[in-house]
Amino acid sequence: MRGEETYSYQDIPPILPPTHLPSCPTDCLPPIKGFLETSFVDWPGKLCAMIFVGGCNFRCPFCHNHPLVLTPKEMDSISFAEIQTRLTTRRKWLDGVCISGGEPTISPGLPAMIARLKAEGWAIKLDTNGSRPEVLAGLLKEGLLDMVAMDVKAPLVQKKYEACTGCQVELDKIRQSIELLKNSKIDHQFRITVLPRLHSEDDIRAWVEQLAGENSRLKIQNFNPRTTMDSLYEKESGFAPEIFSRLADMAATG
Amino acid sequence: MPINAESVEKEKKQGHRRDDSTDLALFVRTSQDDMTGWDRHRIVDALLRETYIDRDTAEKISIEVENTIQTGKVKTITGPLIREMVNAKLLEMGLESARRMHTRLGVPLYDVDNLLVQHNKENANVPHGPEATNLTLAEGIKKEYALLHVFTPDVADAHLRGDLHLHDLGFIDRPYCSGQSLEYIKKFGLNLPHALSAAKPAKHAEILLAHMVKFAAALQSHFAGAIGWDAVNLFYAPYLEELTDKQVHQLAQMLIYEFSQQAVARGGQAIFSDINIYWEVPKHFVDVPAIGPGGEYTGKTYGEYEKQAQRFAWALFEVYKEGDAQGRPFFFPKPLVHITEKLFKTEGHREFLNHICEVASVKGNTYFVFDRGETAKISECCRLSFKLEAQDIEDAKKPWKMRYSALQNVTINLPRLAYQAKGDDTMLFQLLTERIQLAAKAHEQKKKFIEKLMSMGTNGPLALLAMNHDGEAYLKLHKCSYLIGMVGLNELIKVHIGDELHQTEAAIKFGLKVIAHMNIVCNKMAEALDMKFVLEQTPAESTSFRFARLDMAHHRKDAEKVIQGNRETGEIYYSNSTLFNVGAQMSPISRVEREGLFHPLIEAGSITHLWLGEAQPDKEALANFVTNVFKHTQNDQIAFSPEFTCCLDCGKTSRGLVDNCPYCNSENVDGITRITGYFTKISSWNKGKLGELHDRYRNVNRFNN
Amino acid sequence: MTLFTKEDCKLCDQIKKQFDLEAMEVQVEVLDSNNAGALAHLAWHGQVEAARKTLPILVLDDSSSVNDFPRIESHLIDRAASFGIDYRSSNNQAGCENGSCAMQ
Repeated sequence: MRGEETYSYQDIPPILPPTHLPSCPTDCLPPIKGFLETSFVDWPGKLCAMIFVGGCNFRCPFCHNHPLVLTPKEMDSISFAEIQTRLTTRRKWLDGVCISGGEPTISPGLPAMIARLKAEGWAIKLDTNGSRPEVLAGLLKEGLLDMVAMDVKAPLVQKKYEACTGCQVELDKIRQSIELLKNSKIDHQFRITVLPRLHSEDDIRAWVEQLAGENSRLKIQNFNPRTTMDSLYEKESGFAPEIFSRLADMAATG
Repeated sequence: MPINAESVEKEKKQGHRRDDSTDLALFVRTSQDDMTGWDRHRIVDALLRETYIDRDTAEKISIEVENTIQTGKVKTITGPLIREMVNAKLLEMGLESARRMHTRLGVPLYDVDNLLVQHNKENANVPHGPEATNLTLAEGIKKEYALLHVFTPDVADAHLRGDLHLHDLGFIDRPYCSGQSLEYIKKFGLNLPHALSAAKPAKHAEILLAHMVKFAAALQSHFAGAIGWDAVNLFYAPYLEELTDKQVHQLAQMLIYEFSQQAVARGGQAIFSDINIYWEVPKHFVDVPAIGPGGEYTGKTYGEYEKQAQRFAWALFEVYKEGDAQGRPFFFPKPLVHITEKLFKTEGHREFLNHICEVASVKGNTYFVFDRGETAKISECCRLSFKLEAQDIEDAKKPWKMRYSALQNVTINLPRLAYQAKGDDTMLFQLLTERIQLAAKAHEQKKKFIEKLMSMGTNGPLALLAMNHDGEAYLKLHKCSYLIGMVGLNELIKVHIGDELHQTEAAIKFGLKVIAHMNIVCNKMAEALDMKFVLEQTPAESTSFRFARLDMAHHRKDAEKVIQGNRETGEIYYSNSTLFNVGAQMSPISRVEREGLFHPLIEAGSITHLWLGEAQPDKEALANFVTNVFKHTQNDQIAFSPEFTCCLDCGKTSRGLVDNCPYCNSENVDGITRITGYFTKISSWNKGKLGELHDRYRNVNRFNN
Repeated sequence: MTLFTKEDCKLCDQIKKQFDLEAMEVQVEVLDSNNAGALAHLAWHGQVEAARKTLPILVLDDSSSVNDFPRIESHLIDRAASFGIDYRSSNNQAGCENGSCAMQ
């Protein structure tokens, strides 16, 4: 238990405008900044390709993909046409496409891109932080998603949550997204990356209790210090393996 | 005529002295642990016995050596020194061939001193200890013997120059590897030549296991490389009917621990062992009468033991999943699961695939061997697998007859061909042909030597291999394969056409032409010499480092443009066999597809390695991937290699290669991952492999780095 | 389009007699013990194992392959038609009696 100090770790900046931001209409496709042809780890039970969309409205200090968040404009974009071609050659192999980020839902063109992939017959998984329930609702309503993994970064307590996101968060929106998923028929997973600096064991227990549900998968991931958004976090470590495996079991038994 | 290194000294044991010898007050310190008086005639006798020079010359040399010793006024002299003085005289007189025959094999004091203290990293499977240094010393002498006396100078020189590599020279008196089934010991018991006791066929599963382990150890001391077992789960099946699931699990545990802890025999090495596993009953065994307890036929066929065989296969992988007492993956025996058309038609295959993929993800042990179409295969060493031919299918009816061996492995340094060809295609293929011919010559010479040893039957040094319980020797010499391997196709291509294999289609196409040429020349040589030459992907654990080092010495200007690794630290290497650059950011799909294009041309077996690093893949995603590799590629075999850190202080094992133990924060840690075809501790790796480890691409997106 | 064949292969010979492959711009590769290029080309198309079972093999322009003799014939008939080139229809039932229609 680290007490209050944990949460006053830094001043929380206001809600951020997405960094990259396309002032383009909704049929402008999201900026694709990375592509991994084969992932064995991102979609339970499936072999999928990963599309990384630039830009994010959170500033999680432990984020590993921070160039995507902070400086997406400096990264080369991959054209959607190229992605389509590469995917087509892997039709026989891949079970689906996972769209990750950054935060994909802040790109106005996301639904258009997903619709185009969907039209080509791809199953789609979306990784989101749940801050845009209206986008998520739209995608669900159109039947464009086959799975969603939502990062719920802390139990739903304002200060705790904002310590993890590094910016102000409208918790109601997070709640709405959670409810949308819980009430949907599609496969979904709530994920959390934990580290002692930000989460107490009680927090994680509270998180599990808030999210557990018959139809929801829960996944607790241990923080792994590599390159992080806030370089101070490179000196942090995750939970000790013994403790972590106990925490992970909590999620498994839900 | 064998060189008898110490014959000068042995001679005096016979105790006869001749009158005309100078009465020197000199003692000779011999390797027989005693001191004897000087006798010039021992030199004469040795020269006459070991070389072709005439008596007068021999007398003359002995007198000159005696004079030299007399003027030196020494009181004690060693046998080896006398021999070298004689050699110096032979050299002075231009008697080079006599000098070679009279040469002495041995090791300088300085080297032995170093050896006993430092770790030999040639083979990461050899630990450091008295047994290991025994092995190194013995290997050193046998290697010199092989290069001087088994192989002709052109072959030996080509090896020393690094044009090609003769593997396991220190095991010159052994064949390379052996694959067999349990049926031999099930039928004949453990009845080895000259053993202190003989055992009848086992009546219980545990006893069969004991026989298997001991037989494997006996085989290990007669082969240089791997000991493979075909369809282990199936051949155990007739012993399992009475056993509960718990007992089957325990048996699986015993088998894996026995093999992984047998680091007590040759050189303190674990037995390099493979177990082949099938979920289905392979077609060629379905109607074969099963042998059960006591070596008796059970009255059923193996087709009827599918469920028992599956139970054992399942249990073996449960044990692999658990790992050892510290959670580390078991290094041996390596489980090779055969993926066949029939597997996908066999009940429970999806669950089994998920099960073995979970092991691949969690511990990495599983090898997926793809037997497409009608070919059945048995896999042996690092990547060696043999296709069962018509005669073998006939043998399958008597599975104890299914014994396969490769006699030797010779690897060709491909990049050097490109340096020498200077961009000229005709020259490149001409040189390649010549190297293969030289490799074939080396194989003929080894074959002749092993034939000589085998001809002495059960009274000779290879008694175990001459053992005859079923009408023929255990080692079927006439059926042996002779392996021709390659190192550095990727770098050859880069020198010759400018791109690496992963960079352009033109590079792959030219690479295929090189390997197709090798395949064709091997077939021609096989026909001409009536020996089975087959291409294999050399594991090249130390060869890729050795070739790289020699080329940096002899072809520096060309080599430094293409050599992989870190030149400053000396961690340099060539890409193994036909593998693509290990650091190329290729997706696993591209890698298995593209590397797989080469596999059908390499008939003794190939593999694609996928490095997982710390990522722990989803088992079903892996199972889908494996299924697609079977259906959509030509790839012969794949393995996924995770990385681990084990803590030498707290003894715990964690995922990924890290500097500090995540449990106790100790810096006293060692990494574990696959070096070539097997898991080892990274602290035992040679420099070339360390360079490669650093470069391996682990399928992570670039933001995760 | 590439047709992989070998000498002394009855089915390969039959195809060669039926069609003017050169005029139809079908590349003919002859697999023999001196032709690494043809073997490499075969490997590039992933057809080595297939060729060990049966020849000829036709690889189409989209890199897909056809091993079944009647289907090879019908592909070539279409091709001949599109080039406006005559061909002979096969008069006897295609079949390889002595097993020589495969790569060694």
